[in-house]
Amino acid sequence: MNRLDVFKSVLWTLTGLAVATAITRFIFGLGAVSNLSDSTPWGIWKGLNVVPGIALAAGGFVVTAVIYVLKREEFHRYAKVAVLIAFLGYLSAATALVVELGLPWLVWQPVIYWQFHSALFEVSWCVMLYLGVLLLEFLPVPLEETGWFAGLRRFLTKYKLVLVFLGIMISSLHQSSLGTLFLITPEKLHPLWYSALLPIEFLVSAIAVGPLVVILGVLVICYMYRKEADRKTLSKLAYLGFIVIVIYGVIRFVGLGVNGKLPMIFDGSWQSTVFLIEIALMLVIPIVLLGIRKLRYSQAGLAVACFSAVIGLGLDRANIAGVMLQVPGSQYYPTIYEVFVSLGIVAGAIIVFLFCVEHFKIWDVKWKDPRERPEYCPQFGLGSDVWLGSPGVTERVKYSLVFALSFALGFALMPQDRIESKGVEEITVQKARGGDTLFIDGNLDAFGTLFDHARHVDSLGQKQSCIKCHHMNVPLDKESGCWECHSSMYTANDIFRHDWHASPNGATIACDICHKPEQERQKASAKECRDCHIDLYADSTADTLDTYLAVSYVDAMHILCVDCHRGRAVADTTRVALAQCPACHTGPQPDYLKAEMADELSRPAPNHVMMPPAVLQVKEE
Amino acid sequence: MDAWLEFARGPLFRLSFGVMMLGLLRVLLLDLYGAWEAYRRAGDKTLPWGYIIRRTLVWFFPVNKVFKGRPFYSICSILFHIGLILVPVFLFAHIQLWESGVGISWPTLPKPVADWLTISTIVFAIALLIGRSFSRMSSFLSRKQDYLWPLLLLLPFVTGYVCANMSVSASAYQVTMLIHILSGELIFILLPFTKIAHCILLPFSQFVSCVAWRFPADTDDAVCTTLNKKGAPV
Repeated sequence: MNRLDVFKSVLWTLTGLAVATAITRFIFGLGAVSNLSDSTPWGIWKGLNVVPGIALAAGGFVVTAVIYVLKREEFHRYAKVAVLIAFLGYLSAATALVVELGLPWLVWQPVIYWQFHSALFEVSWCVMLYLGVLLLEFLPVPLEETGWFAGLRRFLTKYKLVLVFLGIMISSLHQSSLGTLFLITPEKLHPLWYSALLPIEFLVSAIAVGPLVVILGVLVICYMYRKEADRKTLSKLAYLGFIVIVIYGVIRFVGLGVNGKLPMIFDGSWQSTVFLIEIALMLVIPIVLLGIRKLRYSQAGLAVACFSAVIGLGLDRANIAGVMLQVPGSQYYPTIYEVFVSLGIVAGAIIVFLFCVEHFKIWDVKWKDPRERPEYCPQFGLGSDVWLGSPGVTERVKYSLVFALSFALGFALMPQDRIESKGVEEITVQKARGGDTLFIDGNLDAFGTLFDHARHVDSLGQKQSCIKCHHMNVPLDKESGCWECHSSMYTANDIFRHDWHASPNGATIACDICHKPEQERQKASAKECRDCHIDLYADSTADTLDTYLAVSYVDAMHILCVDCHRGRAVADTTRVALAQCPACHTGPQPDYLKAEMADELSRPAPNHVMMPPAVLQVKEE
Repeated sequence: MDAWLEFARGPLFRLSFGVMMLGLLRVLLLDLYGAWEAYRRAGDKTLPWGYIIRRTLVWFFPVNKVFKGRPFYSICSILFHIGLILVPVFLFAHIQLWESGVGISWPTLPKPVADWLTISTIVFAIALLIGRSFSRMSSFLSRKQDYLWPLLLLLPFVTGYVCANMSVSASAYQVTMLIHILSGELIFILLPFTKIAHCILLPFSQFVSCVAWRFPADTDDAVCTTLNKKGAPV
C-alpha cells in the first residue's frame, strides 16, 4: 500500500466511527454519547471543530485578498486551493454545529427570528453568509469539470471580484465577531486569554495563520501525490504570514503587559504551562523558522513552521472556547465518542478535499491521478488472481469496506448504559419554604419565585378560594401542598401506584375490591378512588380523575398560575404585567434564604443548572 | 455467563448488525454503480426496458418455475426460505429486544406459527442438504461453503427452538442461548461477503443479467461489421 492508500484508509475509518456516533447522537440524544451538561454545554465539538475550524478557514479570504486587492498575481495558482480549504473549514464547522446543537432542526431560526441582543446573532449570520459566498466562489470549479449550468458558471466567473470582496468583508467581520463573543465571559475565561482586545486578536491571528494553512494543504497534497512543491512562491506567501504573526505577537503581549498579566505567565499553574506551549507553537517556532530565509525556503522548515502555527492557533481557539472557559464547580472531560465525531468531521473534510484535488482543476493544470502511472498500476493480489480493476474501482471497493467495518465497530462501541432509554432523570421536588410568604423553589437552585400566600387568599376570596389551588389532597390530609403529588420537577409521575395498592407490603387490597369480579380488569370498569378515599377531592363536585399521572411540578405551577394570571390580565387592562414572566420570576430573594442559597451554590450540583455567579449577589434591603 | 450473554446481546450484536446492514448496502450500491457505469460507457444504449423489467419480475417469483425441471427441490427451497426470513424478523421475543433497546416494534407472528415455521425451516434445510449431497449435478457444482451454509443457518434455528420450547436447566438454557446469539451474529457478519448476499442482490442480479443478455436485434451484424466479416454466417 502506498502512502495515499494508508492515509485515505485512516480517514475513512475515522469517518465511519464518527457517522456511527452521530447517528447514535441523533437517535438517543446528546447524553448518549457526550459528557456535555447544562453547566458545560460547550465541549470539544465547539472547542476543536467550530471555533478553530473557522479560524483555520481564514486562508480563503486572506489569499484572495492578497491576489485581488494587493495584486500579487504570482499566488493566483493557489486561489482555488485557498477557497476550497476555507469552504471545507466552514462546512466542517457547520456540520459540527449541527451535531452539537441541542435542537439542530431549529438552526434556521436566526434567519427568521432576529434576536439583536444575542451575541451569537451576528456570528450565525456571518457563518451563513460566508458559507454561501464560499460556495458561490468555489462552484465554478466543479461546474467547469462537469459542464453543467454553463450560464451560471459564466455569471459567477464574470462577477468573481464581487464575491471576493464580499468574502473579505464578511469573513473579517466574522473572525473578529467570534472574538467579540468571548468578551461576555470575563468571569469564566482565564485572564491569560481574556482580553479587551480579543476581537482584534482573533482577526489578526486568523489573518496570520490563514495563508499558512493553505501552504500546509499544498505541501500535504504534494507529499501525498508525489509532486514537486513550488517552494519559491510558497515561501513568499509564508513571509506574508510571518509579518502578521509578528504583529499578532506584539498585540498579544502588549495587551497582557498593559493589564499587568505578564507575571501570570510564569506562575507555574497548569494554565501558564498551556499558555507557554501555545505561544511556543504559534509564535516562537513559526517566527524563528520563517524569519530565517534559508529555513523558509526549505521544504522541511516551511512544513514544520506551518504545522506548528496551525496547531498553535487551534490550541489558542480551543483554550478560549473550551479548556479555559470553565464554570467553577463543574468538570468536563470529553468522551471517546466526542473525540470520534471531532476527528471524523475533520477526516470527512479532508476526504472531500482529496476528492476535489483528484477530480477538479484545482491547480492551473489538472493533475492526473498519479496512480495511473505504470508503477501504480494495480497488482495481482497475493492470495488470488483477481484483478481489482482501475484505481477508481479499487478505491470504491476498498474504502467502502473500510467505512462499513469502522461504522459497525463504532456502533458496537457505543456505551450500553447510555443508549438504553431510561427516560429523564427524576428530580424530587422540595417543599416550598416560608410562612405567609412562600419561596417556591422545587429543585433548590435558589432561583425560585416568591408567593404571597396571604395576599392570594385575600384577593381570590378568602376560605372559598382554597380549592382553586388545593384541588386534591393526599389521603387523610387537608390542604395538601403542591409538592406532595407533583413530586417530580420535570416529569409526570404516578400518584395512584397500582402495584403498591395490591402489594402485601403496601395496602394489601385484593383485586376484587376495586375490579368487579365478573368484568374485565380495566381502569374504566374499576372502582372510583373517591369511593374509598372520601377526603381525596377538596371540591365534592370535582370531576373524577381521567389519569393517574400528576404533571411535573414546573407544569403544575405554570398551568395553574399562568392561566389564572392571564385571565386577570385580560379582564383588567391596567394589569397586563401580571401575565408576563417577570411577574413571578423576579425580585430579590428574602434575607433568610441568603445563607441557605450561598450554601447550596457552593456545592457542585450535578442535577440542576448552575447560573452565573453574577446573579447571586442578593440585594441588601 | 450472564456477562457473556450481555456482551453478545449488546456490543457484539451491534457490531454484527452494523456489518450486515452497511455491508449489504455497500454491495448493493457498488453493483448499481457498476451497472450504471457500464451503461454509461456502452456505445449502444438502446435496451428493451419493458421486456427486461418484466423478465426480472417474473424471475423474482419462484412459483413460476416450480413444476418445471425440479419440483421437489423448488418446493423445499421456497418453504425453507419462508421460515428463514419470517421467523427471525417477526418473532415476538426478538421484537421485544428491539423494543426494550431502541423503542421500535412491529407486528409479530403468533407463537404456534413461529414454532411450525421453525420446524419447517429445519426440516427443509436438511432436505436441501441431502438433495445437494446426493444429486450428482448439484454436488458437481457445489463448493465447501454451499454445504456449510445450511448447517450454519440451522444452528440458530435449532438452539432457538430449544430455548423457546424445551424446559432445560438454567445453565443449559444459557449455553444454548449463547450459541443461538453467537451463531446468529456469525451469520450476520458473513452475510454481505458470501453468497448469502443474494438476499438483497437477487432482484438486481436478475436485472443485470437480463440487461446483459438482451442484445439488440441487430447485434450480430454489428459484431460482424466490427470484426470486418460482414455477411459471414454467425
